[in-house]
Amino acid sequence: MRCDNRRAAALVSLLLIASFVHALENPVLVYKKKYIMGTVFEIAAYDHSPEHASKAIEKAFQEIVRIDDLFSNYKPDSALGNLNRSAHFHTEKVPPDLYRVIEQSMQFSRLSDAKFDISVAPLVDLWKAALRGDGTPTPAQQEEVRGCVGYEKIELTPPDQISFRSPCLQLDLGAIGKGYAVDRAAEVLRSLGIRDALINAGGSTILAMGSPPNQTAWLVHLRDPSNKIDPQVMLKDESVSTSEQTAATLLGNDSAGHIIDPGTGMPLKTIFAVSAVSKSATVSDGLSTTLLLLGPTKGRELIKNTADVSAIWISQNAQVETAIRGPEIRFGKGL
Amino acid sequence: MNVSDRILVWFFVLVATPAWSEVFLHWKNAALPPAKELGLNELVFSWNDSLSPQVEAARRLGYRVYVEVPLHRASSAAETGAAGLEGIILIARQSETAELEKSLPKLRLDYPKLRFLVLNPDGKLPQMRGNLIIKRDSVLEVSSPTAQPWIDTNLALVRIERRSHPEQLPLYTFSWGGPSDSGQQQLAPTAEDYSLAVAEAGAFHADLILELDERLQKALSEHDPEAWTLWKHVRTYASFYAHPGEQELEAAANVAVVVDDLDTSDEAMNLLARHNIPFKVLKPANLKSEHLEGFDVLVVFAKPDRETCERIAEVATHGKTVVLVDAHGSYPWQKGNSVRLNEHAVSYALGSGKVLELSEPVVDPETFAQDIRRLLGTQSVLINVWNGLTTIAVPYSERGGTVKVLEFVNYAEEPFRVQVQVKGSFASMRYETPEHECCEPLVPVKHNSFTEFVIPDLWIAGRVYLEVDQANNAGAGGVSPH
Repeated sequence: MRCDNRRAAALVSLLLIASFVHALENPVLVYKKKYIMGTVFEIAAYDHSPEHASKAIEKAFQEIVRIDDLFSNYKPDSALGNLNRSAHFHTEKVPPDLYRVIEQSMQFSRLSDAKFDISVAPLVDLWKAALRGDGTPTPAQQEEVRGCVGYEKIELTPPDQISFRSPCLQLDLGAIGKGYAVDRAAEVLRSLGIRDALINAGGSTILAMGSPPNQTAWLVHLRDPSNKIDPQVMLKDESVSTSEQTAATLLGNDSAGHIIDPGTGMPLKTIFAVSAVSKSATVSDGLSTTLLLLGPTKGRELIKNTADVSAIWISQNAQVETAIRGPEIRFGKGL
Repeated sequence: MNVSDRILVWFFVLVATPAWSEVFLHWKNAALPPAKELGLNELVFSWNDSLSPQVEAARRLGYRVYVEVPLHRASSAAETGAAGLEGIILIARQSETAELEKSLPKLRLDYPKLRFLVLNPDGKLPQMRGNLIIKRDSVLEVSSPTAQPWIDTNLALVRIERRSHPEQLPLYTFSWGGPSDSGQQQLAPTAEDYSLAVAEAGAFHADLILELDERLQKALSEHDPEAWTLWKHVRTYASFYAHPGEQELEAAANVAVVVDDLDTSDEAMNLLARHNIPFKVLKPANLKSEHLEGFDVLVVFAKPDRETCERIAEVATHGKTVVLVDAHGSYPWQKGNSVRLNEHAVSYALGSGKVLELSEPVVDPETFAQDIRRLLGTQSVLINVWNGLTTIAVPYSERGGTVKVLEFVNYAEEPFRVQVQVKGSFASMRYETPEHECCEPLVPVKHNSFTEFVIPDLWIAGRVYLEVDQANNAGAGGVSPH
């Protein structure tokens, strides 16, 4: 009997060792999704311990929720909400994350000659009603609201103070906030020992950490409004973001869009969707909107002076423009 | 709670609708806990010829036992198992519709003691949809700018089933499936996943055959405490939708979708559901007899024949909007005034209404659903749900009357504060959830011809009872009960 017990114990130990070795050789993919920032965030992470990967993903989601609590325009008590209420001709101390993202946004504004502007919020609100079908704002309404817009009216005092030199300036981080949240989530995953993961913020920003087992990078298919080109990019410790104006109505003759051109004060009219690849999700997110607003001619000029960045503009009728200073963009079909 | 509150609570309990939904458990494990413990009585086995001992054992444990059979084996199942079975569930795919229509009445006639139910086996796994496509050892991602989360819902399927088999509640099932990647950890469905499935069927007033993970079946049979904790949670949801009532309520809708089959319009209807546009499904043949007065917009996916064209023209002439999708051909209204809206859409004025012809199938269902909402106009929208992009709200009303009950399902499976605007003037509203017994009062705020209220934290499911403000409800009618 004692002999049988020993044999059984040895067998169990062998099985445990075998499963441990198997796990070491074959990391397991754990996938989770969560609704945050008005979209579905997804994280897929490889690790030898599914439990550990699962916990790490949950921590990363918590970090995104924390960022949302700071950046949300819908939560009245968010740090951004407080800033929008009380920074008019008054200096407000803000959390470091909010300061950092506003600072980065202003860099994009300078780079794009104010085409990218997080102070466009009052115009966005004005045109939201038109997007719902409630009629176009009058020229007088547009003119009045345009007076509230302008990134140069934001005053930053390092390390953490902000004031608005305008009585009606409002900030909206919709064009960069998700990217920033993705970068913070990636930091959390890395700090917990996850090396290979993919973070997806509702399809608009995707960050690849490391690569899948036995692969050199993560394969990401990019947005193709023409359905004729199938652009692809291999990402390793890089991010891609896509921007596109709201689709035109199928049953109408006019439609507003959610991306407003601060230059005209009106919804951007463009035939392109843009994908921008960069080392960080904050940059790719801000850059994709900037490049959509700039268009391919001016956009290429911007990219000429920016390291490690690639971009592609694709129209519905398969017109393609690229600017490559970073990862190669390949085409699955056509071209 | 004071006396008037108690009276109100009992009022709402008494006016609760009849059993809205039943959950049938599909069981595979050899051992089975008693029905009293599981808290559900309807049990389903897959049919095989040597099933009798299993059926008998289940009956002794208090279950009403059904067998699930393909249509062509229904007679032999009924013949062999008639003694111990409660009923037979016929797996009928869309291609078998004609055969089903022929054989079902005969089966019911031949075996009057058996309940025959028609099952649609093609339900979707209800979920908040991501867009990562996971393949072996890599992730294939379609990067899309869509910031709005989409959900996979069975509402369109339920609406079609209701039209196809009006004699029974729609009955469907789905597979938990899951990613096929060999490297991915296969996670069992959670209590929230099961609860969402039950809540969805319940909220849509449909019956569900719930597949239980085999590990869970085994653990329940072995009295594993963790499994039972999970199950008690799910059971609460099943009970929430099973309680009987005395008042017959029907789904309200002011959009009708005319379809031949689900395939061409499936995603469009999925998106109508996601945008909380209550719709009713009609088949072209129904157009002849159906009262269409309550609909503000008619969306026609089916190719219209002469009679359908006549009805479309009649509806438009009376001030409604008809959208004809993928329309190719000559139609009577094309003789009238037309306006080209864009490359693919033409609008024809007809009486006080219009017919919009779309020359293509719906390639962008998200935009299409938003278009339908715009066509309805802000004053004709039955319900608006803000900051609840993963939430579907389904209104129910008495036939031809105002909305009495709103069912909510949140596919994100976590608590949200949801703001709701419902057409009509309501004096009071009460909220109940599977977790909290009836009812918590909500504060109605009247705004033009709508009433607004806030659900503080909708987790997976909730129900709001609305009491009409008789003095101020002139504009609240006009919905078509389903």
